[in-house]
Amino acid sequence: MLTRRCFLRGPAVVMAGYGSAPLWLARAASAAETKRKTLVVIFQRGAADGLNIVAPFSEPRYKELRPMIGIQAPGGMNGPNGPIDLDGHFALHASLQPFKDLWQKQQLAIVHAVGSPDPSRSHFDAQDYMESGVPGKVCADGWLNRALPAAGPETSPLQAVALGPQMPHTLRGPRPAISVSALQSLQGGNDETAGVLESMYAASADQRLAATGKDAFAARRMIQSIGRQPFDGPRNNAFLQGGELGRNLQQLARLIKADAGVEAAFAEIGGWDHHGNEVGQLFGVLRQFGMAIDAFCKDLGDRMEDVVLVTMSEFGRTAQENGNGGTDHGHGGVMMVMGGPVRGGKIYGRWPGLEPEQLYEGRDLAVTTDFREVLSELVSRHLGQKDLSQVFPGYRRGEGLGLLKG
Amino acid sequence: MTRLVIVTTILTVVPANAQNSFDIKLPAEQRSVHALNRLTFGPRPGDVEAVRRIGIEKWIAIQLHPESLPEDSVLEQRLRQLDTLGLDTATILKDYPVTTMRPMQRPQPTEIVTQEQFSALLRGREEDQLAVLNKLDATKRRQILTYLPPQNFAYSPELKKEAEAARMAEQEERQQELRKMNPPLQDLLSPEQARMATGGTPEQRQELFASLDPAKLQQVASAMAPASLAGFPELRRQGMMKRFPQQLAFSDLKEGRIYRAVYSSRQLQEVLVDFWLNHFNVFEGKMNVRPLLPSFERDAIRPHVLGRFKDLLLATARHPAMLYYLDNFESTAPEIFSIGPFADPVGFTVQGLSRRAHGINENYGRELMELHTLGVKGGYTQQDVIAVARCFTGWTVRQPASDPTFVFAAFMHDTGEKVVLGHKIAAGGGEQDGLQVIDILAHHPATAKLISRELAQRFVADDPPPSLVDRMAQVFTKTDGDLRAVMAAMFAAPEFFSQGARLAKVKSPLEMVVSSVRTSGAEVTDPWMLVQRIADLGEPLYGKVEPTGYPNTAEAWLSTANLLGRISFASELMAGKLAGVKVDPVRFEGQNQLAIARELLEAEPSPAVRDAMETGFEGKDPAPLSIAAVVMGSPDFQKR
Repeated sequence: MLTRRCFLRGPAVVMAGYGSAPLWLARAASAAETKRKTLVVIFQRGAADGLNIVAPFSEPRYKELRPMIGIQAPGGMNGPNGPIDLDGHFALHASLQPFKDLWQKQQLAIVHAVGSPDPSRSHFDAQDYMESGVPGKVCADGWLNRALPAAGPETSPLQAVALGPQMPHTLRGPRPAISVSALQSLQGGNDETAGVLESMYAASADQRLAATGKDAFAARRMIQSIGRQPFDGPRNNAFLQGGELGRNLQQLARLIKADAGVEAAFAEIGGWDHHGNEVGQLFGVLRQFGMAIDAFCKDLGDRMEDVVLVTMSEFGRTAQENGNGGTDHGHGGVMMVMGGPVRGGKIYGRWPGLEPEQLYEGRDLAVTTDFREVLSELVSRHLGQKDLSQVFPGYRRGEGLGLLKG
Repeated sequence: MTRLVIVTTILTVVPANAQNSFDIKLPAEQRSVHALNRLTFGPRPGDVEAVRRIGIEKWIAIQLHPESLPEDSVLEQRLRQLDTLGLDTATILKDYPVTTMRPMQRPQPTEIVTQEQFSALLRGREEDQLAVLNKLDATKRRQILTYLPPQNFAYSPELKKEAEAARMAEQEERQQELRKMNPPLQDLLSPEQARMATGGTPEQRQELFASLDPAKLQQVASAMAPASLAGFPELRRQGMMKRFPQQLAFSDLKEGRIYRAVYSSRQLQEVLVDFWLNHFNVFEGKMNVRPLLPSFERDAIRPHVLGRFKDLLLATARHPAMLYYLDNFESTAPEIFSIGPFADPVGFTVQGLSRRAHGINENYGRELMELHTLGVKGGYTQQDVIAVARCFTGWTVRQPASDPTFVFAAFMHDTGEKVVLGHKIAAGGGEQDGLQVIDILAHHPATAKLISRELAQRFVADDPPPSLVDRMAQVFTKTDGDLRAVMAAMFAAPEFFSQGARLAKVKSPLEMVVSSVRTSGAEVTDPWMLVQRIADLGEPLYGKVEPTGYPNTAEAWLSTANLLGRISFASELMAGKLAGVKVDPVRFEGQNQLAIARELLEAEPSPAVRDAMETGFEGKDPAPLSIAAVVMGSPDFQKR
């Protein structure tokens, strides 16, 4: 495994021609023992169907609403490969087998009937609100960016990392954040021309390009130095089965293990908008989702003690299946929280029920827990950001769910 | 110190209030390049001069009438090589199947046992399963076991092992057969040749390919990953045709997009095709969509980009690609319990239930209003979404495999009364219900506004002046949605040629890649690598999963990964590392960095770019092509 000291051997060479080493590098060298906490956010774009991912299998009403696509009770014909019984009431979808172990080790907590108070059933609007953390309002930056401490000279250029070629709304904002698609491919020209380009961007009159350029070149140096370290062994093959999310989480695991100073990370996985033929489609996408996250947790091993991973989606789907073996846009959904600090093996949140009068607008799972309640707890307890009024402006916290230990 | 002073000067010249800057006229010498930046995928060498010569107004008028403009002869020659582009969907489905690799015909489960017996084996109790199995002869027993999950027999370790062994043997057999049909490279070439084929220089590979006889060459081509045949388009096409013919049709489509963007003389039309394909986004990975894409672009989008909006809207509403992508093909009246001969015949869920449609699917109805016409704040409700979905029930696809064309299936249609945005649609209607909705939406003021705003966002600025959008919307309404008239009004508006619009847009990955190729004057003989790089930068063609399409504004593309990716691309392009894209190695010989920058940017470089080159390259004498790469990676070149 890479250590901070190991990582520090490389950069001197890379730094040549760029002036003196920045302070964060010096800090990294002196503070080898202070481990950083990392919060990883995984967004399921397209409105994941909480009712089939964590299914209330024991409710007769569930089967009435979903005669074709409902999850079967655990222990049926698929035996150990079928749905995973969590508490006699809820079952995890069968393709989330890798999570069984996490649940049993109490490193996986589930929050059900969770979502945004905003009634929008538009993917675009609802994602926007969830990513900004300010439902119902237009807000240019994202909650995860505001959750970070202001960047100082000691802050790593990789403090906030988005995996993928675009900068997600969740991480946009005043704190430097970088996006990474493939560590190896981030050459950004050769070292000779990189210096010239860096000066160009630094002096650009376009503030947005200047800011992006500044982050990009700092990150480039750091990533190059990590890239020169030997890659961690063959067990990483597990990531491949997790598709694009797996590949992205593999990059992230590598950065975390290299002590690159990652405090916030964002990755996403699309393909949850199952208006038809949900059974087959959900099986496939959940399988990748489960494999990718499981590989990430396994790869980090002990380092998961410092990592909390949370999953979210813009809204859930209609309680009743539609005419095409699918579901339409709904309201309440499910979030999962994983990691060493998590008080797992438990389902959080008040279950609102599935009777017609219990459903939101008579059709969707109601929201009984505001997604900001979950995130507030992770931001304040795990990232240590006590001032939540900037992260979720206008949100009055409830009593807290007690998702984290200690 | 100097740099600081310069930055301050710029800030005082460009007013801080963006609204005002749309009132400031562009100086005459900046107008041609600005028009080229907006109506084309970027100027090529000589374009600015040509526009000046013709006169900007006249040049814009020509671009607004592409039908009168002769097409570029190089483009026509390039497109001829992509011979699937003109094919209709039925032909693609027939002659370009997903794969040619058909393993041996194995009997289906119900050809081995009865349906009842199979159900018993799948879901029955232990004794039912054993009763069936024990009646079968050895061959049938082995055959049927390959269809059953071994864990079905968890109660008997021996039986479970037998089932596992049957599966393994069957898979092994299949693989052997496939290997014989499609031998891997190491079965075809000597180790030395195989190394050359995948890792050799272009010259070495050329030499190797030339030494093989045609039959062998085709086998070799089909054994290689398409990516390692970049720069050998004919060979790659042969290889794909042999194994995955439908991939060939899809890659022809993507390559055609790039060829047109780079070479077409009808540039505005190509920019608009990109805009409208994105507005009416469909995703290649959704069921049945991929083989329909050539027709979607050619028949639904292209003919209407400068026509009437309503025609465009209707063409997309009826196109099977959209019907599949937004699920309308299977939306039915609630009481209908079968979709009959129409739509997807594969009707089995994992539970083995036959899939029957019995109700509406809201997907198209919602996105039609939110994204295609009114906009999310356009004033519709959930009740309107349901009503619109009911109006479109029965708009489906005749037969997905043999006759993938639009059909109105009356028996799927919800004939009840509906109220859409306050308009009553009488009971007893048919296809007319959907047509009426198209009409209501196409003529709604919110639609005029949304379309005008989106166009202004693409052609003027991320946050276009509301006054401009309003005037465009008025033209839209007055002309019954004549898109050519709306475009003409926008180009004639003072805001279009204003300081506020100049270099206000950050290029999308497609725009960045294509504009680099155009300004460098590179010759493209194989667009494969360009298609890949655009995808690497986050904008795969036809690859946006969500119906929103790609963002039209800067934020999404302003990321570190994107910036470094663009810089890498520029450096690859100018170093000649993109197979199939050839830059002129001596074009910039003997020119200094300032001259190179002016030529590539078609403008005076910004002080930031000029100063950084002066300081950074001082005493270093970099190669002209390195300077060119830096200019294309610079902040100035990321904008248009």
